[in-house]
Amino acid sequence: MPSVQLFATCLGDLAFPQAVADAETLLRQAGYEVEFPARQVCCGQPAFNAGHRAAARRVARSFTRAFSRELPVVVPSGSCATMASHYLPELLGVEGYEVWELSAFLVAFGFRPLPRNAGLRVAYHDSCHMLRELRIAAEPRRLLGASGAEVVPLPREDLCCGFGGTFSVRQPEVSVAMADDKLAGGAETGTIVTADPGCLMHLRGRAEKVGSQVRVVHLATALARGVRA
Amino acid sequence: MPELAQPPERFRVIARGKLGDAHTQAALDESTDRLRSHRIDAWADVQDVEELRERAHAIRMQVIDHLDEHVDRFTAALEARGGRVFFARTADEASAYVADVCTRAGAKLAAKSKSMVSEEIGLNEALDAVGVTPVETDLGEYILQLAGEHPVHIIAPAIEKTAEDVAVLLSRAGGEDVPAELEALTQAARRQLRETFLQADVGITGANFGVSSTGSVCLVTNEGNGRLVSSLPRVHVALMGMERLVPTTADLAVLLKLLARSGTGQKLTVYTTLVTGPRRAGEQDGPEELHVVILDNGRSNLLRGRYREMLACIRCGACLNVCPVYRKAGGAAYGPVYSGPMGAVLLPLLVGLGEAPSLPHASSLCGACTEACPVKIPLHELLLDLRRDLVQEGVASRWERLGFSLWSWAWSSVLGYRAATRLARLGQPFAGVLGPGRVWSAGRVLPRFGRRFRDGRRRGRS
Repeated sequence: MPSVQLFATCLGDLAFPQAVADAETLLRQAGYEVEFPARQVCCGQPAFNAGHRAAARRVARSFTRAFSRELPVVVPSGSCATMASHYLPELLGVEGYEVWELSAFLVAFGFRPLPRNAGLRVAYHDSCHMLRELRIAAEPRRLLGASGAEVVPLPREDLCCGFGGTFSVRQPEVSVAMADDKLAGGAETGTIVTADPGCLMHLRGRAEKVGSQVRVVHLATALARGVRA
Repeated sequence: MPELAQPPERFRVIARGKLGDAHTQAALDESTDRLRSHRIDAWADVQDVEELRERAHAIRMQVIDHLDEHVDRFTAALEARGGRVFFARTADEASAYVADVCTRAGAKLAAKSKSMVSEEIGLNEALDAVGVTPVETDLGEYILQLAGEHPVHIIAPAIEKTAEDVAVLLSRAGGEDVPAELEALTQAARRQLRETFLQADVGITGANFGVSSTGSVCLVTNEGNGRLVSSLPRVHVALMGMERLVPTTADLAVLLKLLARSGTGQKLTVYTTLVTGPRRAGEQDGPEELHVVILDNGRSNLLRGRYREMLACIRCGACLNVCPVYRKAGGAAYGPVYSGPMGAVLLPLLVGLGEAPSLPHASSLCGACTEACPVKIPLHELLLDLRRDLVQEGVASRWERLGFSLWSWAWSSVLGYRAATRLARLGQPFAGVLGPGRVWSAGRVLPRFGRRFRDGRRRGRS
């Protein structure tokens, strides 16, 4: 069986272990042996985006120690996949890795999800890095559709949800106002699916805080167990 | 010169005020949505958009690479046509020169068309100080002048004002009762401004572009006020940032195609005026004197090095209209002149990072600006690099640097990570009490850190 290396990402590991487990389930269903390199920690993105390059390098080196260039690295996070594939090699001056965002990997290798969302309507929220740096927009929608869901576009799909790493605590009022718009847009279907743990933490945290009925679900969970899981 | 410096908390304080104002929020949403969709529609019938953007980028960078030469060529060409060029190193030098031109012309009244450079140098205050009354004739700027406010958008300066707001201002200015209907508002503004055009001794305009080979100043407007201001008064002064030159009129055509589409979603603006020198012998129209003030005011700091691409900006406003942060915070949070992503990049470069430390962080780095920019300025990457400079130049706070330092040591090995996250789990009940956790928790619920994903796995493979 072919193998892949799963990069859980620090946020996935700490805050959304179930979503990472769901990503693993999907990769297995797709016929892959899933390795979890034990020395993995983080790609360094939080510090990199905040301008702390030395700190980012220190953390990013843990990625190079953990992962091999021999096997694909699959990441259930649009922004961490962007960091690991686009910025990390340049930051450290090292050769690149074969990094895949989860949905792009699954579509590229012909995965058909189980019909976990038959008859359900969902909205998909693009992670900005995934949309604009990796240019991955069709794949997650296609997978959701293949799982039986009707994917309903959010109003102004191009707008960021307001997370933005440290932006979320430097400009918290603007940040949550952006989340409120996104959640309001999700009210029509009641479900927002996203492929980025950053957006997930922010939108779900805001929905809980204001008592919104909109559920925010990681794409891996939506595909492995359904958005109602 | 207006206060361009931005104290650290200013952005957040102003944004908070705007967020609490439903009226402004509705105006921002409506206006930016409209400008954005017009832009998208305007590009729909253009083939090879990417090629056009690449070409525009190349034209702009060619000028920036040889800016001294272009300034010299522009100056020589314009002087050969009887115009005068003044190169101002600072805002104060520029204002003083214009004030002096007005004084020497014996001017009492100066009619102005829209110019962001004039806002940048605080020209209106400088003219007031020498007894010259400046009157803004761009409708948006006129509204703001009546309200005593600064522009909140580089192409639609009064974007946060509704028809009702404008009716109140125009009624007061004209001593009449103007209904809040577009036609009536426009007619009232026309009546009020007509005398200004006719009586002004000096006309002051900006310059969307200058053409180096011909010494021409190009003005792009939709209201026709730019044409009146540059042709009726006896003296015309055009203010231009030093980077706004293009090599030839053929290059100008490329940029105009981009500017109108990206700014207002038009194929061409209603008026595109090329002014090449003052009135010549035998001509019927035009001013007797033409002065072009070329402004540096910090721009030459950008000429070499990482941020030079910012000088390619053609001030179309596309990045503002797509920016989700601008859409919520409004323009004033960025300062009195430039706003949105282009302002967040440009201002710290003009005034120094220490004077505007919050602006590089006034972005979620979503990249919508970079995607919209017609001349391909990598705006969000420039913001990312400005953040790096904030840290390297020691502007970032000691607490922030300490925090990231400690975090990075912990996160640099799996042992440190395991220990730190175990500790964090213990400290979880207190996470919302101080620092970033507290700020986060004010508007969102913190995720609960329980069993980590890795705890469920054996080493290596499962």
